[in-house]
Amino acid sequence: MTKFCYAALVVALAAATSGFAETPPSRVDLSKFPATRLDDVVVPLPSEVFNVLDKLGSPNWKGELRAPDIKKRGARAQIALLLGSVIAEGFVAVEATDKARVKEIGRDVLDLARGIGVEKTVLSRTNAILMKADENDWVGVRRELDGALTDVKKAMIELKDAQLAHLVSLGGWLRGTEVLTSIVGKSYSADGADLLNQPDLLKYFQQRLVDMPPRIRSNGLVTRVQRGLDEISPLIHQKITPASVKRINEITGQIVRAIDSNANA
Amino acid sequence: MRHLLVLVSIWALLTPVYATVDDAISRALEAIDPYVKQGYVVRDDQWGGDLGVKEQKAFPHTLFKGNDYWFCMGTDIDNARIAIHVYDSKGKLVENSSWQKGRFAAARVLAPATGTYYIIVEVSNSPQERTSWAMVYAYK
Repeated sequence: MTKFCYAALVVALAAATSGFAETPPSRVDLSKFPATRLDDVVVPLPSEVFNVLDKLGSPNWKGELRAPDIKKRGARAQIALLLGSVIAEGFVAVEATDKARVKEIGRDVLDLARGIGVEKTVLSRTNAILMKADENDWVGVRRELDGALTDVKKAMIELKDAQLAHLVSLGGWLRGTEVLTSIVGKSYSADGADLLNQPDLLKYFQQRLVDMPPRIRSNGLVTRVQRGLDEISPLIHQKITPASVKRINEITGQIVRAIDSNANA
Repeated sequence: MRHLLVLVSIWALLTPVYATVDDAISRALEAIDPYVKQGYVVRDDQWGGDLGVKEQKAFPHTLFKGNDYWFCMGTDIDNARIAIHVYDSKGKLVENSSWQKGRFAAARVLAPATGTYYIIVEVSNSPQERTSWAMVYAYK
């Protein structure tokens, strides 16, 4: 009996110390994963945030819409940031059920993708955006916008231009955060403010900028974005108050406007 | 001719590697399919690679309170056993449910708060030294 107990204890200990047993441990030591690479960080899609915003009420989405002038093109870094921002704008247009604006955004996405050499990658997505907007298939348009973002990033990575792919994501995050803070700011709630609790995602974007080659990092617009993220960081690392929501909205708004107008490039 | 033979040999060696990753993705998509029918939206992206037995890998991911997520994992290796679980930034298990069925595994989480979570995948058992796997996720 004693031998049996001992054997059972050995098996239990082995299961507990080497990976998941049948029942996963209720706690794990995350320091066991020090080698977690930046590439392993999963950047959420804009639709994951908008999906929650849908459940928080019915804000005035039309009032949130903007019309960036995509003709003001600068360096590839600016085009990448603008592309991400315009894709995020597409989600706002979907929320506003503004068919004409969604279709314009579909064409803008194609135009900007052409500017960084990934037009072919998004052609089928942008065609689908136009078609689904005509059919008022808003869920479908969202999926195509998410898909366009993913496809552009994959294409950039294949073209050995991963830095631009990160800027596309960052452009989307900045415009998404601007809209999110605008909506939460107009009708503050703890649940709404909780959506801004993204310190690790912000740290991820900051690190991506730090890791960029000097030729991109020295771009005036990229420097401005980096400064803006550094300003947002302390606001996100503490309890998010109505004042911090307002400030984050101001910072992201200024950066998005700089991206739109190709300022500092 | 000799060069051609070398190229063909290299191709023959590489082909199964690519095939297994693709097959693992297919398995992961197979695992998530029932949830698509329940209205979950699958992200059109995949994560994957290969792991040794009992080896784990963590993916930090910002999850949003209010969303309901399913993370599904698959492998194409017969008789392999894999697992996927979700922990919060303090290392506490937060998933609402999970299951393992040989080459498939899944975990569901209704994020209790917006923040960083860790999706931890593991090859629990496998007849092979390295086991290819893939992960996909869906939300609603």
